[in-house]
Amino acid sequence: MKKNNFIERSISGAVSFLKESIFADEYASKNGFLQSLDPRIKTLTFLMFIMAILFTKSIAILLCLYAACLVLALFSKINIGFFLKRTWIFIPLFSLFIAIPALFSIFTPGQTILTINIIGAKLIITRQGLSSASLFVTRVVTSVSFAVLLNVTTRHFELLRVLRIFKVPQIFVMTLGMCYRYIYLFLEIVENTYLAIKSRVGSRLHYKKGQEIVAWNISSLWQRSYYLNEAVYNAMLSRGYSGEPVLLNDFKIKSKDWAWLFSITLFFVIIILGGKII
Amino acid sequence: MSEIIFELKDVWFSYLGKFSALCGVDLTIAKGQKICVIGANGSGKSTLLHILDGLIFVDYGSVKFLGKELKEKSFGDENFSKDFRRSVGLVFQNPDVQLFCPTVKEDILFGPLQLGIDKLEIESRFEKLVRFLDIRHLLDRSPHQLSVGEKRKVAVTSTLIMNPDVLILDEPTDGLDPLTTRHIIDLLLEENENGKTIITSTHDLHIVQEISDCVYVFSQEKKIISSGSPDKILEDTKLLQDNNLIHIHRHKHDQTTHIHPHQHLEHHS
Ligand SMILES: Nc1ncnc2c1ncn2[C@@H]1O[C@H](COP(=O)(O)OP(=O)(O)O)[C@@H](O)[C@H]1O
Ligand SMILES: [Mg+2]
Repeated sequence: MKKNNFIERSISGAVSFLKESIFADEYASKNGFLQSLDPRIKTLTFLMFIMAILFTKSIAILLCLYAACLVLALFSKINIGFFLKRTWIFIPLFSLFIAIPALFSIFTPGQTILTINIIGAKLIITRQGLSSASLFVTRVVTSVSFAVLLNVTTRHFELLRVLRIFKVPQIFVMTLGMCYRYIYLFLEIVENTYLAIKSRVGSRLHYKKGQEIVAWNISSLWQRSYYLNEAVYNAMLSRGYSGEPVLLNDFKIKSKDWAWLFSITLFFVIIILGGKII
Repeated sequence: MSEIIFELKDVWFSYLGKFSALCGVDLTIAKGQKICVIGANGSGKSTLLHILDGLIFVDYGSVKFLGKELKEKSFGDENFSKDFRRSVGLVFQNPDVQLFCPTVKEDILFGPLQLGIDKLEIESRFEKLVRFLDIRHLLDRSPHQLSVGEKRKVAVTSTLIMNPDVLILDEPTDGLDPLTTRHIIDLLLEENENGKTIITSTHDLHIVQEISDCVYVFSQEKKIISSGSPDKILEDTKLLQDNNLIHIHRHKHDQTTHIHPHQHLEHHS
């Protein structure tokens, strides 16, 4: 009984967490600094930030950039606690798998700091290994933070439109948009199925039965999405679609955007040149 | 004699060549008419409307639009295709199908943008419709996150904004509250007064009287079994009963049991 409740609670918890973190755009509609920039300019400058992060070899610069990112988040009225939580969810995924092996001497030979003995196998942490691993981790942390910041301060559909404007192929952008739609549909179905089961049988449902119902729903989702694609295509035809859709473009670049673009470009050039000279 | 817009003669259609959906339909629609197609679920209403909108094409029989045969080939001609899409608009039964853009605003503007309608013109129509249907607060939301009623309002808006001469609506008031239903009907009547032809399908007999001057009844055999003025059709209880549009309603008053046909014209209490 208790176990069942726990499963139920954790599933609906997970679903609503996913829904909130992927689809919430409350921060994107606040009137902070980044939200006020033109999405095209913003995306461009964030690409520069990320390039700078990938190019630089100095931990100090990376830390400065990370600090800058947090300051930007503050100016964009983003709750720092939420922001940190959001970024640190992704970071382990990226860094741990790649960074940890680099700590050890097998991968990065150098001066020994610490030796660990695990059932006869000697693991030696080297100074070079440690410094390259920490450089790597800082780099990942900073770039993920910038990516998340862009994502939180820009509406999903604006990002898609920016991609189109940057000449990312139509089919790719459409697919991305459809994926987004299906993820939402999918989460809805999982959520509703659980509600439906609950309303019909109370909590006395064997989890096996629950699994069956969910599986059935997933297969019907695929069928539905196939049917939906055909029907959606008809709906597009009906409204005059003929090959390449004409997209709305109501972005406006203001002088503030130019100023921002100019200063970030300058900064970017300095970092790149600085890196070359040193 | 007013201009004939659609003329259907002995139209047959089946999905994938095996699920028959229309079995010999004859129909004539003149400019400025209000046509209502009623019938139970699965009687072929949506199929007929999709044929009228040039989305699917008949297996047998003929469909004429303004005296010209409507064939799949005709849509290969870009000018014809554009003209046709501009003059005929369809509101789909399932708003999830009709709404496919990331935001409500983009969805509403999709049609006019494809047809290359003048920007100022688009803007003024947009403002008018948004105000009339009271959907301003939805504009930046994603269509698939709306309630059924809100979706339907957006779907109706996205077709009306194209300002078509012929407006086809597939169960436009299904799942709407009375006030919104009222709004949509008023909007349709206004469009009709401006000379638009309105074709609706429904199984909600409440609205038939208002939105039609000619009713076609579809039977389970997927053909038209009767047609005429709404008064004549709505009076014919036997016809409506035989075609699953009303059901016998049995209830008790004091000691005696009454049986009378329930027309969905009033709500149960
Ligand atoms: N995509 C489809 N594939 C196969 N059969 C279909 C499809 N759409 C409708 N049908 C069938 O065609 C018939 C008429 O359907 P439809 O026109 O949707 O009826 P209505 O709109 O009156 O409810 C039904 O028997 C239905 O099962
Ligand atoms: Mg239908």
